[in-house]
Amino acid sequence: MRKILLLVGFVLLMIPVFSQVKGVVFDENGNTLPGVNVVLKGTTNGVVTDLDGKYSINASKGDVLVFQYMGYVSQELTIESLSKNYDIFMEQDVMKMDEVVVMGYSNKTKTEVASAVAVLDSKELLDANSDDVGSMLQGKVAGVQVVSESGAPGSGSQIRIRGVSTIKPGNEEPLYVVDGIIGGSFDPNDVETLTVLKDAGATGVYGARANKGVIIVTTKTGKSGKTQFNFKASVGMKTADHGNLKMMSGSEFYDWSSELYRDPQTHEIDKIKFYKFYPKELASQNYDWVGNAFQPALTQQYNLSAAGRSDKFSYYASGTYFNDKGTFRNTGYEKVNFRLNTKYQFNKWISLKNNVNAYASKGTSYDYMDMYYTYLALPWDDPYNEDGTIKYIDGNTPGKWWSRDKINPYHTIENSDHNYKSFGIDYDLVLDVSITKWLSFSSSNRLSFSTDKSHDFVSPITAGPFHGKGFINERQNNWWGALSSNMFHLNFDFGKHSISGLAGFELNGGSNDYMWVEGKGLPEGFDVPSVASSEIKIGGTSTLEYFNSLISQVNYDYDKRYFLTASFRVDKTSNFPPDNNTAMFPSIAASWMVSNENFFKDNVSFMSMLKVRASYGVTGDPEIGASRYMGLFSLSSQYNNNSAAIPYQLANYNLTWERTNMINFGLDMNFFNRVDFSVDVYNNVTKDLIVLVAQPLSQGFEHRWENAGEVTNKGVELNLNVIAVKTRSVEWNIGVNFSKNSNILSGIENPFFSSVGGVSQIYRNDASIYTFILPKWLGVDEQTGAPLWEKINDDGTREPTSMYKDATPQEVGKALPDFVGGASTSVSWKGLTLFATMAYQYGNDIYNYSRVAMDNDGHEPFINALVPKSDWSRWERPGDVATHPSMQNADLSTETSSRYLEDGSFIKIRNISLSYALPKKWSAGMKMHDVILTLRAENVYTWTNYWGQDPEVTLAKGDWSMPGVSDFKYPNNRQIVFNINLKF
Amino acid sequence: MKVKYTIQVLFVLFAVGILSSCSKWDVSPRDQISTESLSETKDGIVNVTNGVYALFKDQVEFNGFIDDNNSYLRQYFQMSDFASDDIVCGQVTTDPLYYSFTYTHSPDQANSRFFWYVSYKMINGTNTVIDIIENSGKIERDNMVNQILGENYFLRAFSEFSLLKFYAKLPTAGNPDSDPGIILRTTANEPAKKARATVTESYNQVIADATMAASLMNQSRGKEFASKEAAWALLSRAYLYLEDNNKAIAYADSVINSGRFTLESASSFPSYFPNALASDETIFLIAYTQQDNRGKFGSIASMIYSDGNSGWGEEFASESIRADMDDHLEDIRWKYIDTLHKDDGSIMTKNGIQVFYITKFSFQDGDPNLSSPVMFRLSEMYLNRAEGYAKNGDETKALADVNEIRKNRGLEGSLYNSVPAGETLLDVVLKERRLELAFEGHRTFDLIRNHKNIVRKYWGYHIKGIQSPDIDPDNPPTGYPELVINWNDPIINYFIPADEILANDLCVQNP
Repeated sequence: MRKILLLVGFVLLMIPVFSQVKGVVFDENGNTLPGVNVVLKGTTNGVVTDLDGKYSINASKGDVLVFQYMGYVSQELTIESLSKNYDIFMEQDVMKMDEVVVMGYSNKTKTEVASAVAVLDSKELLDANSDDVGSMLQGKVAGVQVVSESGAPGSGSQIRIRGVSTIKPGNEEPLYVVDGIIGGSFDPNDVETLTVLKDAGATGVYGARANKGVIIVTTKTGKSGKTQFNFKASVGMKTADHGNLKMMSGSEFYDWSSELYRDPQTHEIDKIKFYKFYPKELASQNYDWVGNAFQPALTQQYNLSAAGRSDKFSYYASGTYFNDKGTFRNTGYEKVNFRLNTKYQFNKWISLKNNVNAYASKGTSYDYMDMYYTYLALPWDDPYNEDGTIKYIDGNTPGKWWSRDKINPYHTIENSDHNYKSFGIDYDLVLDVSITKWLSFSSSNRLSFSTDKSHDFVSPITAGPFHGKGFINERQNNWWGALSSNMFHLNFDFGKHSISGLAGFELNGGSNDYMWVEGKGLPEGFDVPSVASSEIKIGGTSTLEYFNSLISQVNYDYDKRYFLTASFRVDKTSNFPPDNNTAMFPSIAASWMVSNENFFKDNVSFMSMLKVRASYGVTGDPEIGASRYMGLFSLSSQYNNNSAAIPYQLANYNLTWERTNMINFGLDMNFFNRVDFSVDVYNNVTKDLIVLVAQPLSQGFEHRWENAGEVTNKGVELNLNVIAVKTRSVEWNIGVNFSKNSNILSGIENPFFSSVGGVSQIYRNDASIYTFILPKWLGVDEQTGAPLWEKINDDGTREPTSMYKDATPQEVGKALPDFVGGASTSVSWKGLTLFATMAYQYGNDIYNYSRVAMDNDGHEPFINALVPKSDWSRWERPGDVATHPSMQNADLSTETSSRYLEDGSFIKIRNISLSYALPKKWSAGMKMHDVILTLRAENVYTWTNYWGQDPEVTLAKGDWSMPGVSDFKYPNNRQIVFNINLKF
Repeated sequence: MKVKYTIQVLFVLFAVGILSSCSKWDVSPRDQISTESLSETKDGIVNVTNGVYALFKDQVEFNGFIDDNNSYLRQYFQMSDFASDDIVCGQVTTDPLYYSFTYTHSPDQANSRFFWYVSYKMINGTNTVIDIIENSGKIERDNMVNQILGENYFLRAFSEFSLLKFYAKLPTAGNPDSDPGIILRTTANEPAKKARATVTESYNQVIADATMAASLMNQSRGKEFASKEAAWALLSRAYLYLEDNNKAIAYADSVINSGRFTLESASSFPSYFPNALASDETIFLIAYTQQDNRGKFGSIASMIYSDGNSGWGEEFASESIRADMDDHLEDIRWKYIDTLHKDDGSIMTKNGIQVFYITKFSFQDGDPNLSSPVMFRLSEMYLNRAEGYAKNGDETKALADVNEIRKNRGLEGSLYNSVPAGETLLDVVLKERRLELAFEGHRTFDLIRNHKNIVRKYWGYHIKGIQSPDIDPDNPPTGYPELVINWNDPIINYFIPADEILANDLCVQNP
């Protein structure tokens, strides 16, 4: 009996002494980490955490467990008690040396990357409160310039990478690659990483369409075993940011008007005549049109996602709802996005990915004229009747309406509708087959469909051109696209050598159907095309585009010290004449990881990384729209109901690709694991620039597509990231980036011009693209008050003249900046993080076109004027030194000249945000992994001398726009946003 | 092994896939026709010819966008009549039409640059068709094809003649053998840079083209297209401008004696312009349909007429022309001047100027902005002939033609028996011409070629810098430079567009 008890007791005693130690391993975000090695120190006993991050290992009291996981700092833990669980939080290794960089067709580790590449991960992209990727990138990546074209809800920004390498109109945005396939759509909340490829070494493999850089987006996938939910709610209030553009008040405009009555002989204002026409009461009548038409607006965004993984199957599902009310009356935008990413691993060799992204949006837009009339309406006119109803005004209305335009824009807005709807879906099917250990095959396929419909309706009860008739116009656009990319991938090591590569082909095609109807003669209260009874017009066409490619790339490295990448690609497109439509694009990149050399490791301790990179490659650009090489007559007209063909395009059967040769040198350094510094120097030469060369108008054509000239973009980019402070509780990072790009044209036989709205730009050798050529404004004649421009005589002498027709057009500025950049900083303490970004730009000029109307020297006495800069003055009498001519002597003073060309440099504080991650104890109490609250201010402040709405001006050349010319636009917004992020 | 075999098969399949993906690499736009395929069918050349007519009325894209203010005929009428003494400017505006009133032209002004551009686009269209018919050898020359060929020669002549009016000195107002004319383009493929021909050479081209046109056209397609008689009418007008009186008379004779046309009577004249296509007085017009209704922002009517909403209604019939018509209120031509009255019966004023709207470009189908502008009509032939006779000293025949017009305009009680005291025969003819062809793009040139100054001694915003309190309704203005424009002042001509001078250094600018 005693023996049994002893045995039992002995056994019982043994259990605690040598027992299973259990626990869960988490990463710093609270996600479980499978695959972590848990080793008993000093032994080879070890286990691996399972899919739930759980481990269970035999250990005794006093043993030390070592937790090891690639990319994370190893931790050691001494077992003090065998009766409790040991949960561990592992921290990521700051070096991130082996962080995987998604390059598109292949992935590389950061060590292996030989090119100019910038990577942003989902944390850095968290401040997106819109569906626009541009706003997420602003100021964060050297060499990337983002311009917000308009504050209208649903409008996106324009992105330029490394300057402007082409001068033809057309799509100038970088190429987007979503989940390894060119094209596609995505919601910013679903982005895991975003990579920007800048040089040919990286973009070369994209060949023809990578001329303007490539942005690669990878969407999220399921990672850990347990289903992980993420909920985000974002609510913001935005107000219109009018910049330096303020319209005059009633009394200010009254004073302005009195200038019209300055007597040319006595130089005094003839008050008797003035009051006769302008009653004194007007000075106290003030309706703030702009202030009232733009109201604070609410934006909201909600996102719910779920992700999970099991042995064979992983998924990520996410839905987002975005509602953006516009600050201007009757404008707004709503969007719903749904994504489902799934991956099924059949067996060790074959996996299949099915990704679907579907989105639907609708919005109400505005008519440009309604906004135009709102800005120009005089403060003496009140749009409301005494009873609060909106006034109806037209040319016949009795009673006084001072504004030149006899129309009340509020009335038109209330009785018109400009809405649009879109729907799109992208379906990706990716098959990965591991054929042998070193050879695999992948077939990535995408089917895309999108449809857009817009509807413009003006009721017959409105004043203006549609009075009594109404107006309806509907347009529908359907786009189908398909892409199939089939590659073999190679990957093997022998000894210190490592080779990888890919080869394959890609087929890409798209078809666009476009149709529109228009009509008038609508009965009141009806707004569909069927009810139109007069002036009915139709139009529509369909286009097809093809693009096929053969792609190959080889990567080689020796001992992780010497790296080489080479790619070769052949593209064929339907955009060029059939006998000239194929081109080849090679590229090569090499790098040397100096810090992996033994001599370096032994002698240099302060630098933890030093990499030297060089690349060269050729990329191209086929995006000029179909059939630009043909001589064409357009059949879209009619004459008395007979078909009519009008000369439309002058032929050029020699038209061919633009090709850019890109050279890049770079240096990446890291000091003390704290300071990360990169320098890139590049020289990109684009040859055979496709330009619309102006023809003499007496040809009957304004221009013709030609390959004429070259443009060189050279520059330097600097990127610095400093971890200034890093302790257990406090961390402070600062990042600064700077890029300087100089753009020079060459190889142009005869300088040519382009102009929009009378503003001209010249294209000639040794000048930058978008150089303005305008008569030069010299100011105001002190003796006569007349405007002065500069005339250059035949002998080269210069003199001022008040005759506009004698003013000589000269080069007076350029639309491209000398340098751009940004900075960001973040400070975190315990759970609080303060984050701020800013962006700056210097050296560009903007033609402030809205001043032609709003700063008009009395040419238009009945439209409102902008409040002048404090150092502006108007000439009154001989001897005055003034900036603005006398209203009595201002012939042609608003004609195109450098008068309205202003400096567009600015510094903008983009975002300031304060976020607080609730301590784990509290969030666990709410049954959440993480709860993060954020308060953010966007578009906080801008410093600029530009006297207009916004120094951010379009970079696109198009129908209504020219780079560097600014006209009315929907104002940008300032926003305050409150955000909750829950993980559970 | 099996794996390797599978790979090989897959690879072959995909290779085949590339080759057999016989994508159509030649993708032509589906709403446009290429220059090559035009000569394949007769349709092609007819469509291009129709396109030239369409260019008179279309709002063609220019400088990257479609400006509602830009259409050929709008500029054709405004650039001439706004510079005349028939229309007064009712208010200052930044629209370049203002510069026509004030004679402050600029090489940059959009309306003139557009007019020049479209004129040459028309010429390009005609040259393309002429080239195909005469040189390609693919089109058989039957009556219909000759008609088309003739129409193109006519259109080219008309476009050249119009350009000459605005951009060159009229032959009788300068030295035509040395004054720069226009750039003559007679083929579709010539060097882009070309110099201006002289005025004499340019008019010779006009005459040659119109004469060729007349000989080819025997199968008129309708009044909205050119015809033999339209070519004769153009020749009559051109010779009148050249002061070759006998030829002006001869061609006017041909038109009048063709028997195809009759003058509208006093009772039908008020509805003539809204129904011009159906009228026997019309020789050639440009047909607008409802689809071409440019509304407030682009119609010719909009600046000179409004019903309160339909147009801008900023320019009115001047005191000067009304003074010439005031003696005869029974003149049926008053029907095209619409006085705007206030509720109390007095005449409405805008900015101090009395409102007299002009309705010659309105009311087709009852729409205030729609009309089919008439380019040539029978009454001009009588007036051309009368002027020719007057300059030849033939008083009887000149007065007979003037009376023929008056008989049909409600003035049968006031026919001329002789030249009234204080006036010359030419004065009588020119006055009738003014009243009959008012607002139709003639007046400014009629004055200049006859060495008469443009006299505008009435209040209006052609006087730079005035404000409405300056206007004294009891006393006419004095002392302002814009009141009298001398017939030989170089500021009358428009500048060659800046774009042309920049891109074509062989082309000289006007002073």
